[in-house]
Amino acid sequence: MSSRPLRSRLSRIGPNLVLLGALVFFTAPLVSTARQALQTVPMPLLNWNTLSDKWTLAGVRRIFDEENFWPTLRVSLELAAATVVITLALLVPTALFVHLRLPKARALVEFLTVLPYVVPPVALAAGVAAFYRANARWFFTSTYALVPFYVVMALPFTYRAIDAGIKAIDVRTLVDASRSLGAGWVTTLRRAVLPNMASSLISASFLTATVVLGEFTIAVTLAKQTFPTFAFEFFGRDFQGGVALALLTLVMTTVLLGILTILTRPKAVRAARKTDRLAKA
Amino acid sequence: MTDTTITLDGGRTASAAPAARPQRRRFRFGAWMGLLPFLGFLFLFLLLPTYGVVTKAFSNESGGFTTSAISDVISNERKAFYGSMKVSFVTALLGVVLGTMLAYAAATATRPKWLRSLVSAFSGVAANMGGVVLAFLFITLLGRQGLGTKLVREGLGYDLYGTSWFDISSFWGWVTVYMYFQIPLMVLVTLPAIDGLKPAWREASSNLGGTTWTYWRRVGLPVLAPSMLGGFLLLFANAFSAYATVYALNTQANLMPVKISAGLRNDVGGRSPAPYALATCMIVVIAVAMGGYLLLRKRAERWRAT
Repeated sequence: MSSRPLRSRLSRIGPNLVLLGALVFFTAPLVSTARQALQTVPMPLLNWNTLSDKWTLAGVRRIFDEENFWPTLRVSLELAAATVVITLALLVPTALFVHLRLPKARALVEFLTVLPYVVPPVALAAGVAAFYRANARWFFTSTYALVPFYVVMALPFTYRAIDAGIKAIDVRTLVDASRSLGAGWVTTLRRAVLPNMASSLISASFLTATVVLGEFTIAVTLAKQTFPTFAFEFFGRDFQGGVALALLTLVMTTVLLGILTILTRPKAVRAARKTDRLAKA
Repeated sequence: MTDTTITLDGGRTASAAPAARPQRRRFRFGAWMGLLPFLGFLFLFLLLPTYGVVTKAFSNESGGFTTSAISDVISNERKAFYGSMKVSFVTALLGVVLGTMLAYAAATATRPKWLRSLVSAFSGVAANMGGVVLAFLFITLLGRQGLGTKLVREGLGYDLYGTSWFDISSFWGWVTVYMYFQIPLMVLVTLPAIDGLKPAWREASSNLGGTTWTYWRRVGLPVLAPSMLGGFLLLFANAFSAYATVYALNTQANLMPVKISAGLRNDVGGRSPAPYALATCMIVVIAVAMGGYLLLRKRAERWRAT
């Protein structure tokens, strides 16, 4: 009897070492980035005595002095907004359609949504150059031409998020109830279906926005100026400033993710309880 | 496997058909039309570009059919191809092993209750983290003047840059950086499979006199095998297509994505077929890997439904 806890504690040594190793590996780059961004003591001089010296926000401040910072951030935010809008406008009706009217097409649509995995961003960029340079030059030269390709790139994540949102609610009952109370399709969508999918729509939007705000490959290959291409170019000129920019990006993403979690949690919890109740009934 | 699919399909059609038939007929065409915007979008922005790449790869200067671009690329860019294969293979293998270990450690940990959800939430973020920012993070850690390099040198007395095997801008550096998204991706793939390992199986194994080793060899690993193999293919495809991270570490890296992007940027007139031929080869490799992944995922789900 008494040997049991000891044995199980011994058997946890391996897993705990793995967890500890993971903790070190995944946090060390964040720590070194924070130091590099915020402290100006050169690495050879860094030791216990100089550890608290020269912490400064100068690197962060230099980011905002860059003349390309605001314009490229603006471009990327616009691209992200446009991508989110098109993604939702395209995928929400499609996913609802598949669930309500065409369950037969489910496997086909799911297969199509993972196709973008097969055509990696570089190959997609090659495709844009191959097809649209010759056939639609006005489109090819515009920075906003990136939007539909970002929609395609984010498709595997976004469709899954929206699809999960539909599966979590009993969409057919909702629609039937709303329709039998005399509501038209628009009212049904606006007042019954979409509010119940809010959390999945928010997370799909967030996923899309993070993909767009960090997308470097297609932008640099097609010579477009976006926020990530600016970050790369800035890093080449100003090491500390570039690292500070990376840190800022991470902090912003974390903050947004935190807000997202808070926004979506109550709904998710409610949905989980609902399915629990349904499962019991 | 094919057998089950057929019977399932047949069963479903047979039971659903009689009552609903007349109504279905009427709606059918309209219903398929509802997919038109989605299909049209994919046609314009995924299919046409892919078609463009493939036709460019197989056409000569005057537009006729030729395989010379492909064979040129295969002989000239062999190093880039091997380089990509090597980095994808090594990071996928390490990712599968370390990711499964981490997922297992997180799934079986009981003490801090939030540990498991922390690991899976973090994995969700880190798996998509590639890109230039990730490269910057690791340059500050393991670059020549990095904090980690310094700590290893002064704490452990080992100089990472003392011999030539490690450099953040060459092979083992890339591998290290890739692990930051490969391990979390594997965790996401394999956590559900590990949850499918029932404690009862372990108890049954030890009641029959099996050791931990027998349990893993006869029960655990065979159940996990499809998702581990599937995960390997997914990670392989993921590393094979990764561009931003490695480009930020070394703009001259001899890997396929870097070659394709550089070829496209230098070829302003769109005359040279080489980058398109390379991209075609890349799509083929990834299609094979992803196809295998999807097949294996089906098989891995077998233990989850019960």
